[in-house]
Amino acid sequence: MSADASDLSLVRRVQRGDKGAFDALVLKYQHKLVKLVMRYVRNPAEAEDIAQEAFIKAYRALPQFRGDSAFYTWLYRIAINTAKNAVVSRDRSPIEYDLDRNNDESYDMQGRMKDSETPEGLVLTEEIRSTVNAAIDALPEDLRTAIVLRELEGLSYEEIAAAMACPVGTVRSRIFRAREAIDRRLREVFEGGLGRAEELG
Amino acid sequence: MNEELDSQLSAMFDDELAPGECELLARRLSRDEQLKARWGRYAVIGAAIRSERGVRLNAALAGRVSAVILAEPALAAAHGAHRAAVRWWQPLAGAAVAVGVALVSVLWLRAQVPFAGAPRNAHLTATASVPAAAVVAAAAAGAPDSYVVPRAPAVRAMVPSTELANYVVAHSVFSSPVARRNLLSAFMTSESGTAAEEPPDEPQGNVH
Repeated sequence: MSADASDLSLVRRVQRGDKGAFDALVLKYQHKLVKLVMRYVRNPAEAEDIAQEAFIKAYRALPQFRGDSAFYTWLYRIAINTAKNAVVSRDRSPIEYDLDRNNDESYDMQGRMKDSETPEGLVLTEEIRSTVNAAIDALPEDLRTAIVLRELEGLSYEEIAAAMACPVGTVRSRIFRAREAIDRRLREVFEGGLGRAEELG
Repeated sequence: MNEELDSQLSAMFDDELAPGECELLARRLSRDEQLKARWGRYAVIGAAIRSERGVRLNAALAGRVSAVILAEPALAAAHGAHRAAVRWWQPLAGAAVAVGVALVSVLWLRAQVPFAGAPRNAHLTATASVPAAAVVAAAAAGAPDSYVVPRAPAVRAMVPSTELANYVVAHSVFSSPVARRNLLSAFMTSESGTAAEEPPDEPQGNVH
């Protein structure tokens, strides 16, 4: 199994003129990229604008990408440069994200006070988060362990197989089933709008 | 939705699908909006599990990027146009480089040709140990053709031979007869060799 094969297959499609493949790359990395940019700007809306600019720059520079490094490494480099330029152009000093991470409550409060997002948007984000957490809690132990090791710890299937003492195929199946179970509940939130998470319990 | 396909999608999301299968699924993913939405929700699940603070899980970022990209020319076409432009000026650039190299060569060769008024072989004598200025002056004064024998580097004995002989004789009381004989013999040999190699005090000058 070659690492980055999935990204590379999408990148090659984009390079051949398939714009739809770039959507998949944006969907996959948007949250990680916004989180990265938030090391430089605290406002989520501003971070999203910078992430958007970084994605567009990456799209335009994609003909020069030869796959020497992983796609996400290359993308992250573009995002960091874009964020630094944005900070300099607005004559601000970068804010270290880690400064307030020790105090989650104060960080949330500060972030929200500067956030230009609507209250509905904030509520929806919280609803998505609580839905996912509730769905994970409801999972059987083996599925929960597999998905948490994958998403939270970033372990490969092989490492998870070693940790759970089971074949790699079983790990793949467990992660897929966990995602499906969570996705079923998440889909209802996305389709049903606000308040669905509470209804679903 | 085909369960096997979704299972493959989940594995591809984690970079755990074989490259060949990735190629096929990437093709389908780029066209199938339902599959793409599921792929996007997998990303949301991951972000929610990691509790990425401040990151909005309902962000319309992907939609905004997609709208901008849609207005852009496709990369293959844009890249093709760029390559066509490159192809157009490439012969011109090549010709310009060739002309430049030829010009530099001509200028360099002209710089190598001696002055018209100077004797033909004046530059040959300048390579010897005699200062170049003196050679040029001699040539200008109408001196006959000459060449210079390079002076051999002087070879010096490491220790003055008289001092060494005195030292050996003075300490012969403490050395064995055989060692003393060997040392004296070696000393004599080395002295005669050094004397043969000693250059004359007079520097060799121009030989006519």
